[in-house]
Amino acid sequence: MRHVRGFDIVRPLSIGMLVFMMLPLVLLPLLSIFIFGTSKGLSSFWAALTAPEAIFALKLSLVTSFWATLFNVIFGLFASYVLARHNFFGRNALIVTISLPTAIPTAVAGFALLLLWGPYGTLGRFLAPHGYNIMFTAWAIILANIFVTFPLAFGVIKPVFDTMNRSLEEASATIGATRWQTFWHVTLPSLRGAIVSGALLTFARAVGEFGSTILVSGNLAGRTQTAPLYIFAKFNEGQIESANAIAIVLALFSFLIFSVLFFARDWLDVD
Amino acid sequence: MAASAIKIVPEVMSSRVESQTAPQAAASVLGLSKRFGKTAVLENISFNVAEGEALVLLGASGSGKTTILRIIAGLEQPYTGKVILHGKDVTELPARERGVGVIFQSYALFPKMTVEKNIGYGLRIRGRSRKEIKKTVQELLSLVQLEPHRKKYPSQLSGGQQQRVAIARTLAYKPEVLLFDEPFGALDAQTRVHLRREIRSLLKKVNVPAIFITHDQEEALELGDRIAVINTGHIEQIGTPSEIYNRPATEYVATFLGSANILEGTVRKDSIDIGGRLVCANVDRERFADGQAVKLAFRPEDVLLSDSDTVAKGAVCLAQGVVEDVSFAGASERLAIRLDFNPISNDPDSDFYLTTQPPESPSPKPIIATRGQREARALSLKPRDRVWISLANFTVLPVSDRGPV
Repeated sequence: MRHVRGFDIVRPLSIGMLVFMMLPLVLLPLLSIFIFGTSKGLSSFWAALTAPEAIFALKLSLVTSFWATLFNVIFGLFASYVLARHNFFGRNALIVTISLPTAIPTAVAGFALLLLWGPYGTLGRFLAPHGYNIMFTAWAIILANIFVTFPLAFGVIKPVFDTMNRSLEEASATIGATRWQTFWHVTLPSLRGAIVSGALLTFARAVGEFGSTILVSGNLAGRTQTAPLYIFAKFNEGQIESANAIAIVLALFSFLIFSVLFFARDWLDVD
Repeated sequence: MAASAIKIVPEVMSSRVESQTAPQAAASVLGLSKRFGKTAVLENISFNVAEGEALVLLGASGSGKTTILRIIAGLEQPYTGKVILHGKDVTELPARERGVGVIFQSYALFPKMTVEKNIGYGLRIRGRSRKEIKKTVQELLSLVQLEPHRKKYPSQLSGGQQQRVAIARTLAYKPEVLLFDEPFGALDAQTRVHLRREIRSLLKKVNVPAIFITHDQEEALELGDRIAVINTGHIEQIGTPSEIYNRPATEYVATFLGSANILEGTVRKDSIDIGGRLVCANVDRERFADGQAVKLAFRPEDVLLSDSDTVAKGAVCLAQGVVEDVSFAGASERLAIRLDFNPISNDPDSDFYLTTQPPESPSPKPIIATRGQREARALSLKPRDRVWISLANFTVLPVSDRGPV
């Protein structure tokens, strides 16, 4: 009771402790990227950033992540719709299967894709003689991104679907709407927030993907090297500035995405 | 037990059917039945609603009234039977092709659309011109008095306003029939009474047949031009509010709408023998045979009390009794009176259920009477006072009641 009016020492202490704990764990590592990246001046930072291979790696990451995101959001919508509307044998097994990729180590995911699509893989060996090779191309990166981010959009969209008021759709039907009109005008707008945050989560995760990509892409500079692979490669070559420049871009990028997620959620869900 | 129920219910129904099969029926259902698995939830439901008429389906929860509504709306399929809207059999049509307006209990307004957009939705999906939509929305906004709120979202409106949007949204496409699913369930008591009157006058303006479902008897009496009392999937009685209230066809109706005292007896010529006492009842000899077991049902407000054996004009003398309890209930006074011939309750859960079983049976229950303050002042009564009891109105019911299906 002695804290009622007086100064409560626990308050600043606990807040200070929280920040202090986060310093070496999260804040300082992030800060050092920026400190080192700009330590030789902005011009060398800019040169490292605009190196053709660096730009290619960033572009490749964005493009492959975009397609993976597009696919997973549409798939997540479809899967949520089917699973929320229909009850059938094996429904729970299907939900678990969709969610499984989060639990699988990314290196294992990449390896699994190699074993399926690689030139000697289960499916790949039938395609290889016809001149189709998916592995070690941008397609492989997209496949790997789809695999590792598979449940993210679904996981955000499905709960919203489950709690959605069914009478909205019934009302739309009695008013005279077709299923498609109902989905477009009534269901989809209610999912707007979930779709955007699902997409951002998927995209952020895909842009940063390393473990599976390094296995399936072949890590060919200027051809199949994504931004995280570029950082790793440049680090191995001892070109710390080049690695650092891209690292800054990726860090800023994820920071941006999470700010959007954090602040836009409320805005998108405004009724 | 069931035999006499079957005897009475069709009688009530057939009289309705005769007077109602006329072409003026705007909406009708014929012989609806529905099963969920092996459980029958609806049995042989038939009724008509005329143009501009309001029919209330009144029943307890689980009586099947919501299922009837959903079948008419096309949200569920009946097992047997037909739904006919303005002469067209729509039983096989999907909900979107029926053109019915459903006002859901939750209103089901589209949360991401403004009031205007919600109201215009039906026309928009029908591909009407922007000009026509604008004009209709404007008319409806002024009809339901929501012009100042046209740009608002449903979550910014009060319950009553949301309900008016829901009604306007269905009126936009000129519905064949309006279906109200427990329309006032989500509102507080005061708003409820107010909105009931508002909807009633709105319906008179638009002249669309309406079907309400509710479990609230007061609501049913006020909203309905006619009421259908639904019990465990069948119609107990259908009629005007005063018919249903003053001449209930079954014990269920008598006790569901308002409260009723019920005495068991047997028919003796024109009278009813209650515990050896003959009550002159003008029994309808076509419905009841001599010696048949019947129930005498009467409302607490129809019980007349007197300190002498004079019987008011038009009333029927029932018995003498002793006042057991007097309680004050606002505008009225409620008295518990034990009859001299010692009727006995066989249903300990019901305050009003009385029988004339042998006196040694346990838990005798008094009858309940209510009277206005003016009468209470004219003849002040206290416990242990002797009174003469007569009935201003009563109904003779067959002993029948079908239990739960």
